[in-house]
Amino acid sequence: MKNKVMSIVLATAMMATVAMTGCGSNERAQQAAATKEAAPVAEESAATEEATTEDAAEASVASDAAGFEKGATIGISLPWLGTQNWKEAEVMFKEQLEAEGYNVIVQAADQKVPQQQQQIESMIENGAKVIVVGPVDGSQLGSVLEQAKASGTYVIGYDRLIENTTGVDGVVQFGSVKTGELQAQALLEGLTKEKGEGPWNIELFGGGPADPNAPNFFTGAMSVLQPKIDDGTIVVVSGQTDFAQCATVDWDNSKAQSRMDSLLSGFYADKEIHGVLSPNDGIARAIITSCENAGQPIPVVSGLDAENESVEWVWAGRQYSTVAKPTDALVSKTVEIINSLQAGNGMPATDVLTNNGKIDVAIYELPPVVVTKENAKEAFANDPGRLELLK
Amino acid sequence: MKYIKKVLGGELRQYTMVIALAALIIIFNIISEGRMLTSSNFQNLLSGNAYVLILALGMLMVIVIGQIDLSVGSVAGFSGMVMAIVARDFNLPWWVAVLIAIAIGLLAGAWQGFFLAKLNIPGFITTLGGMMIFRGGVIWISSSISVPAPSELKWFGAGYLPEWGPSFTGMNNSTLLLGIIGIVIFAIKQIQNYKHSGDITGQKDSISVPIIRILIVGAVIGYFTWLFGSGRPGTSFPVPGLILLVLVIIYHTLTQRTSFGRHVYAVGGNKSAASLSGVNVKKVYFLTMMNMSMLATIAGILFVGRSTSAGPADGTSWEMDAIASVFIGGAAVSGGVGTIMQTMVGGMVMAVLNNGLMLMGVGADKTQVIKGFVLLAAVAFDVYSKGSRNESIVGKIFGKKN
Repeated sequence: MKNKVMSIVLATAMMATVAMTGCGSNERAQQAAATKEAAPVAEESAATEEATTEDAAEASVASDAAGFEKGATIGISLPWLGTQNWKEAEVMFKEQLEAEGYNVIVQAADQKVPQQQQQIESMIENGAKVIVVGPVDGSQLGSVLEQAKASGTYVIGYDRLIENTTGVDGVVQFGSVKTGELQAQALLEGLTKEKGEGPWNIELFGGGPADPNAPNFFTGAMSVLQPKIDDGTIVVVSGQTDFAQCATVDWDNSKAQSRMDSLLSGFYADKEIHGVLSPNDGIARAIITSCENAGQPIPVVSGLDAENESVEWVWAGRQYSTVAKPTDALVSKTVEIINSLQAGNGMPATDVLTNNGKIDVAIYELPPVVVTKENAKEAFANDPGRLELLK
Repeated sequence: MKYIKKVLGGELRQYTMVIALAALIIIFNIISEGRMLTSSNFQNLLSGNAYVLILALGMLMVIVIGQIDLSVGSVAGFSGMVMAIVARDFNLPWWVAVLIAIAIGLLAGAWQGFFLAKLNIPGFITTLGGMMIFRGGVIWISSSISVPAPSELKWFGAGYLPEWGPSFTGMNNSTLLLGIIGIVIFAIKQIQNYKHSGDITGQKDSISVPIIRILIVGAVIGYFTWLFGSGRPGTSFPVPGLILLVLVIIYHTLTQRTSFGRHVYAVGGNKSAASLSGVNVKKVYFLTMMNMSMLATIAGILFVGRSTSAGPADGTSWEMDAIASVFIGGAAVSGGVGTIMQTMVGGMVMAVLNNGLMLMGVGADKTQVIKGFVLLAAVAFDVYSKGSRNESIVGKIFGKKN
């Protein structure tokens, strides 16, 4: 008896639920149909009307040219927070965009491409008007970013070129070939000043191959070094001068250190190493440590990023130079573009275009700054945090 | 209570994870103010996780035979990279490149199966070796640089079904058709079961049971059909989701309805007993490992399609996601237990958790911590609730047929 009553109650309850969901879906399906039909006729008005009921991503298609409200959501997708520049970017984006009144979502993808794809999708889902992407791998976000475009979101590449997709509006970065040139010039300058007469023995290191900047740094550096290699002023003792040979997977310091260890034991048992081209500070410190462990005098080493530890090392004379790519300049430039989009002025004009494999992308290039012990005080004049380190 | 059990067709415990999954979706939907249950989010959820779920299909079988495959991520990355490279350097049409990739997957699986089945080297070691070999291989052949994939592949990794037919349905009609087919097939099967329900016992089940089942499942399928079909024009049930669906049906049938499937469970439950009953254990090992690597390749192809290029780090730690899905789905570490459907639920729990936390803006660090706890809790719950009574092997193999 009890069972029977129970079953009747249950059955009715379930029927009711089915009926209710059924009705609900009908209604909303009609609504969706209405949007679809209306969209081609009067896209803008339909979208604004529906904006309250339909999800925000759909509505923003129409608001392309018109800018968006000041409190809009801005998504910042960073590759990871494992190096100082990215951690700084996270903090600065939050501070600066919140100060402007935006609703900011910052997420880091832990160097995993699928994670970054999903994070970007969730930003679109959250109705972001602009998504700033520092890609883990610049060429693996194609379909996700095209989806962002389709939903009317602006996509700005940050610090690294975004390749192989039509879904990008512009890229803010430091001139990467220029950076490589500056690194190589600093290396030559250091060799002249500290290592007496040539020919000098040097080794070359490249960055993470998945980062489109890394080959550019290397190309820039080689444009300065190759003539000197050809005329015998400098000698790459190991003979490893291809980017593929010199690259450091994932910018992983420990991989660079073990490569340096084996170079030193393999080629420098009876020679002194005078200089090393290093693509960034972490790798520079790994190289210097490796040389110290091998009992070599510290070579002239270039760097990049002006990480705190390397700023100290430059000041102490252990690392010859670094290149500052002030994160605040990069972030400020990005925020400036976001503000321009917000006001309805579109992407600012720029002369520099780079083909990313699918389209020509507008590049907003910022000049990097070489820092050695001599100019460190001036270079960090506006950076109290780093100035503090110069003691 | 008995009635509910009858409707669900088994014990309630079997449905813990399904209930947890539904609860997660609803809770996240409330917290995120309705951003969870939207067309675009579910489309993303499916196309963004299809590759892990496909890996989990194969991984379930590997775990059921009492082995583990650590190489799937690397195999996926390797075959995806080969596909992209041959398509670019030899100008092959995309489908030839895909076939080459699948051939490589089969070869990789045969390689691992050979070491496991013929040389008796444990799967853990065999595939640990495979993981290094194929990861190194990816980096080697690509020189660590991403390679753009043929653009046709994007359809497989992130594409949508075509629009056709009348517009009064208000949905993508391909999706609608899919939903209707799903409901009809389910209904036919229920009615067939009902017709045969008295064959053995001579006592027919109540007719209300299949009807209520059809209504509930029909409502759920109907809701999701609407959810997937009514998104932004041009979108539908995603293609990778469809590929997953087809594979789920194939592998569900394979494991539950074929003699090979029963052999897989028998070998995992008790290898020597299975061997004595005439099961070719080596063959089961070999085929299961080969199948795993082939599925890894399919997962890799879908991912490359979605990413529009193959990268040197593709597949890193995918095996861990797949293994976690299988165990959250209730498979036993010792082998012999676990089903395709439960594994899919386990995988969806992870996917929804990931997606929901991202929608809330929770960072990757904390998400990872939470996922770790969920894995532990799910397995601990399973072990605890099974602790009271251990099913026999026979029960495990034949108990599933009601």
